[in-house]
Amino acid sequence: MIKLPKDFADLEALAGKWARGTEHERNEIRWTASVQDFAEFYEQVLPKLDSILGELAKHALDEMDGQTENLFNLATAFAEAAPHHELYDGSPVVPHSFSARRFVPGHGDLASSEVHLR
Amino acid sequence: MSISEAGKRRDGSEAFSHLNRSIESIRSELGVDPVSIDAIKDPTVYDLEREKIFGRCWLKVATNWEIPEKGDYKVKELAVADASVLIVRGKDGKVRAFHNVCTHRGNKVVPTNDFETFGNARANVLSCRFHGWVFGTDGALRSVPLEDHFGSLDKSCLGLKEISCDTWQGFIYINFADEPEQSLDEYLGDFGNLFAGYPYHEATTAFRYSTVLECNWKVALYAFSEGYHVPTIHAGSLPGFRGIEHSEFKLIGPHASSTIYGLGMETAESTAKFAGLLHSDEHHGPRRDFLPPGINPTERSDFQFELPNIFPNFIIHLASGCGYPGMAYFTHQFWPLDHGRTLWEGINYFRPARNAAERVAQLHVNAIHRNAWLEDTATMEDTFTGIRSGAINEMQLMDQEFLIRHAARTHSEYLNA
Repeated sequence: MIKLPKDFADLEALAGKWARGTEHERNEIRWTASVQDFAEFYEQVLPKLDSILGELAKHALDEMDGQTENLFNLATAFAEAAPHHELYDGSPVVPHSFSARRFVPGHGDLASSEVHLR
Repeated sequence: MSISEAGKRRDGSEAFSHLNRSIESIRSELGVDPVSIDAIKDPTVYDLEREKIFGRCWLKVATNWEIPEKGDYKVKELAVADASVLIVRGKDGKVRAFHNVCTHRGNKVVPTNDFETFGNARANVLSCRFHGWVFGTDGALRSVPLEDHFGSLDKSCLGLKEISCDTWQGFIYINFADEPEQSLDEYLGDFGNLFAGYPYHEATTAFRYSTVLECNWKVALYAFSEGYHVPTIHAGSLPGFRGIEHSEFKLIGPHASSTIYGLGMETAESTAKFAGLLHSDEHHGPRRDFLPPGINPTERSDFQFELPNIFPNFIIHLASGCGYPGMAYFTHQFWPLDHGRTLWEGINYFRPARNAAERVAQLHVNAIHRNAWLEDTATMEDTFTGIRSGAINEMQLMDQEFLIRHAARTHSEYLNA
């Protein structure tokens, strides 16, 4: 169970499915998601996005407690997944694109909350 | 619609007016005829490129902010020069470049397992794992185990072999020539002046992607050198891009530049929220005032980014938050691995997030842009296959593709020099 700050506790099931710290981990989840997965994620998080960002804006990257970091990881997964619902008709791959598996993120194994991503 | 105040130009922009070209003068200087694709198709060109371009030109290999501390190093594998290059910040703070080759018998001093390797030289020394020869971060050979067992060994002549290295605006360049024909400043010339002064070093949050493309490096370079493709190939990730204009053409010796203007696109609801967070902020939002004076000199509000080609293989898209929300600039580099294989590197640079919400918003913009790059790279292997097939002999180039026309001409001049 991935715990979230109490105002966002109703998103914990989604966090268990999507919230991961690194781009590599999030990619693996996104690349195997279905149209329904993207739609469910989008419809549940978008209405709360303003309050999620409002909460995260109170925290520096290196000053998040565990639950806030989980919320950060959920928001990050949403930031990367939303275009698949909004722009790509729920497809896990970008239409008419190069293989995403061949694209190597140099920061792929680093937590996206790392202060210094160089 | 008036996008800039009539006739107003930024102070200092006139120093660059000699670079500017109308479409008529671009057509007259570079011609309008189709351009031969032989240099892309012919595998024998690669040996000439290695010698006459990559062996002679200044090449960007790192940035100051990648190796900020004393002892920080980066090793870059450059197949085009059969070289493993160690770029290291010495105890004196100076950045130097060396062949990553132990002067004992040729082993790599820093072992590598990828195109780029980062680390820190503890106590400012690097030790070869083969026999333990120890080099300072200034390249000097410091110690040799069992030194008295060598009949003759002059340590003072056995430092790491140095490569010419210099820095422009925090971008670290090397030159493989024993004696470069020009200094880096001379080589960059007016390009260096046109792009100087932007606080590149403040945008230290980097999201970097790379891939190996089964195509000639110039196919990849040319694909990123024009705005003509945006409404079609990016219809998925950048839908409804309106008012796109690729103009302000500039010829700068071996380099060239141009400007992409645009009125934006149909913004999805999530993008509007993430982008809004960055776009409305003084730290991350559009800062046309940070742009050097020769870029967007009339202060048009629809400025997106400046698109140059820096010969031979580097592009800095300078946006200052005006294009992709919150993005200061992004770069591309194209490294030949062989005639038909290319290492492409794309890096998105942001100013550091001051809180966790800003980082999430940056990751959204980064993802959209990464996806657009996936759309770009989709064409490259097909294009190379098409060129190799012999079905066409030349490229048809329109005005917005002048950077390609110019790069092809510069390429030919270097090969024939």
